[in-house]
Amino acid sequence: MNRRQLLTGGAGAVLASAAAAETRFRDLPEAAFTDSPYTQVPDRPMAGLEYNPVVTLNGWSLPWRMNAGVKEFHLVAEPVERIMADGMMARLWGYNGQSTGPTIEAVEGERVRIYVTNRLPEHTSVHWHGLILPSGMDGVGGLSHPAIAPGKTFVYEFDLTKSGTFMYHPHADEMVQMAMGMMGLFIVHPRDPAFMPVDRDFAFLLAAYDIDPGTYIPRVAEMTNFNMWTWNSRIFPDIDPLVVNKGDRVRVRCGNLTMTNHPIHMHGYDFEVTCTDGGWVPKSARWPEVSIDIPVGAMRAYEFDAIHEGDWAIHCHKSHHTMNAMGHDLPTFIGTDKRRVTQMIRRQQPGYMPMGTAGMADMGEMSMELPDNTIPMMTGWGPYGPLEMGGMFSVVKVREGIAPDDYSDPGWYVNPPGTQAYEWTGDMPEFARANGPATQVTPKSHLKHDH
Amino acid sequence: MSARLLGLASLVLLAACTDQTVVDRASDPRAGFGFVEDGAKRSTGASAAWAQTSAEVAANEARVRALVAGKTVGPETAVQVALMNNRRIQAAYAELGLSATDLWDVALGPRPRLEIGISGIGEAGLARSLEAVVTGAILDLATQKPRTKLAETRFRQAQMMALADTVALAAETRRAWIDAVAAFEVSSMIGRAQGTAEAASELAAELGRTGAMNRADQAREHVFTAELAAERTEARLAAQLAKEKLTRLMGLYGTGTDYYVPDSLPSLPGRRPAPSNAERLALEHRTDLAIAKLELEAIAQQYRLDTQTRRLSSADLSVGVEIERSDARETEASPVLAVGFEIPLYDAGPLTSRRGALEYSRAAHTLAQRAVNARSEARSAHAAVTGTYNIARHWRDEVLPLRREIDREALKSYNGMLTSTFELIEDARDGLEAELETAKAKAAYWRAESDLKTVIWGPIPGGAE
Repeated sequence: MNRRQLLTGGAGAVLASAAAAETRFRDLPEAAFTDSPYTQVPDRPMAGLEYNPVVTLNGWSLPWRMNAGVKEFHLVAEPVERIMADGMMARLWGYNGQSTGPTIEAVEGERVRIYVTNRLPEHTSVHWHGLILPSGMDGVGGLSHPAIAPGKTFVYEFDLTKSGTFMYHPHADEMVQMAMGMMGLFIVHPRDPAFMPVDRDFAFLLAAYDIDPGTYIPRVAEMTNFNMWTWNSRIFPDIDPLVVNKGDRVRVRCGNLTMTNHPIHMHGYDFEVTCTDGGWVPKSARWPEVSIDIPVGAMRAYEFDAIHEGDWAIHCHKSHHTMNAMGHDLPTFIGTDKRRVTQMIRRQQPGYMPMGTAGMADMGEMSMELPDNTIPMMTGWGPYGPLEMGGMFSVVKVREGIAPDDYSDPGWYVNPPGTQAYEWTGDMPEFARANGPATQVTPKSHLKHDH
Repeated sequence: MSARLLGLASLVLLAACTDQTVVDRASDPRAGFGFVEDGAKRSTGASAAWAQTSAEVAANEARVRALVAGKTVGPETAVQVALMNNRRIQAAYAELGLSATDLWDVALGPRPRLEIGISGIGEAGLARSLEAVVTGAILDLATQKPRTKLAETRFRQAQMMALADTVALAAETRRAWIDAVAAFEVSSMIGRAQGTAEAASELAAELGRTGAMNRADQAREHVFTAELAAERTEARLAAQLAKEKLTRLMGLYGTGTDYYVPDSLPSLPGRRPAPSNAERLALEHRTDLAIAKLELEAIAQQYRLDTQTRRLSSADLSVGVEIERSDARETEASPVLAVGFEIPLYDAGPLTSRRGALEYSRAAHTLAQRAVNARSEARSAHAAVTGTYNIARHWRDEVLPLRREIDREALKSYNGMLTSTFELIEDARDGLEAELETAKAKAAYWRAESDLKTVIWGPIPGGAE
């Protein structure tokens, strides 16, 4: 591992020009690295074709250079350390210091040349998911080309024939390498910047890991029982918010490289899917949604006009995916009287606290000692109490007067008076209750009109 | 010389043949016990007491009562009480007393029943019998010195046996004390394990009540508790029986049984057992070796006596008393491992009878094997002390800390809702099992330690493990 992510420090700078890279790859573009786990807002392109860069949530975009009209990138596959959340670090494999890897951004019609250096202990390859390219550039080790041996650098070169939302990931020992965190976004912007323009363009990849609390490396053999549900290898409460200026047109691009589907649900809005990894969706084919199910190995981009101010949750609707590490073999203790048991257990384990007897919310409130390198399964504090969330969860923060390039957290939304739920302290209104399992037909008599 | 004259002359001789110093020694009511007392103090640290009168017995019992009544008895007290109050050892001391009376008897010299002889003088036919009596008396007189020496050897043997019995009783008692305490320790630990099982059982019942656990899983938790309860009852019984054995060895009954033993054995000593000198000490001190050695001596003396008697009876009695031939005594040292043990090799020459030579040879071989065994037992006992110490320390310093870490981590996992209460309880139970094994290893050490103390003075009662 040649770079270490630091817990402290704000928006980290891209560490360009590693000395070794300069001498070893004199003809190659410099391999840029980053060690910051925070969202890095990319600059506008200085060369090549004009485009509106995406904001990679808790990520960054890979620098490039123009070389005789070809856009050159340098990806380095290597072991990395990723801070998934404050107090939880994972030893993964990634690209250029991070997992997920940096976002590659280019423009439709450009020719790209991507150098891929393998610093992993085993061979790898890169498959450019969703792109139309020559068969020999498709990056399936053994099929498209020989796999890239450790220490070797391969070059991929192709024209970007279509714009849209794509990914890159290994196609050599794929199961292990993806379970270890190797993946990144590949965004091809339309040649015409006026084609479906948006003010804010967010992008992230869904990745799942099985990292036992107290350990650091994912169990790559796991197939279903994952416990770290991440966006760009980060978990709530440390996934950055999606900060939006009121009135912005917003696009959210999301790719799924986990082993299950994810119904991504955003509060406060309905929206339309405008792009998949197959391409842009014509207006006539879109329908409104408040959740989009993102299948395994697919990408979706949806758009909305940010007209409703507030703090709006955005999360996977599989409720276990908004939990961090938790046991799945726990009995349900709801309603269990643990007073006697507590006394009995404390004779042997004085630190024992009864939990779960009223649900699991006490987990979010109590801060008890946990194993090393893990964070509570439900966590995060809002302005009014514990959020009791984890994993695939963030907040879309729509505010008035946010500057175009400002993505910094504006803090919690203050609800205008009269627009927030409150406690009722008056007389209890009458309420109905159903007890029987039989279908109950509501009498229609009161709906009858006199004619 | 006529037989009659010989007889009269002999009578004069007989009157002066008592060995007064031996008589004084042997006639002491506590003859030879000083040796036992001294040996007991050195070997067991406790004082041997020989109660000969009912008053002494009563006084002993009163002292014992003061030592144990309502008290928690330590190993030293237990041994002390056993030496004072165990009637088997008092019987052994009485054996010593009997041996002293034998010596006394011999030392007094022949006491011919002259009144019989004299009454028959002048009557024909009685002269021969008188002669026989007198001859016998003269024979006795002539051999009195070797007979006294033999009696002294037997007496020394009896002293050694009394000491051996004392050492054995002390060893048995110390062992019984360790067994009893260890059994109570185990019983209380199983009790704690049962406490955790009951917690799981209680939790299962509660989950059954709320509808979160089916009957089969509830029964699984309950059956474990139920089985453990049986184990606990067994452990309690074992502790009770172990204590009863100690009570028996301490000679207690009735209200005397109203005493306690500690709940747990002392912790391991901080230091590893020192290098062994047990082999050397055993060869110096072992009572069984000393007894066998004395046996050899006694056999030699016996046969020298027999030879002499035979020779005397066939010799002309008027020549008087041919007393003792000097021994041709040879010894051979066999230094092995810098520790030597001498087996006296008497010249078999004087042992004219084949029977004598064979008996001597048998005793000599028995002694030699006993010495070999003693050396091996001493080495084994030391190896056992070192080994059990290392094992017990390993449990205490390696296994238990890991178990405690598991307990700490189990609690953290439970805190994080990564594992359930049942797993937490199970880890706690595993931790208790490790504590149980640690306690057992500690008990094994204390048993070995006790054996090492014993093996220097005599064989371990019940044999070495």
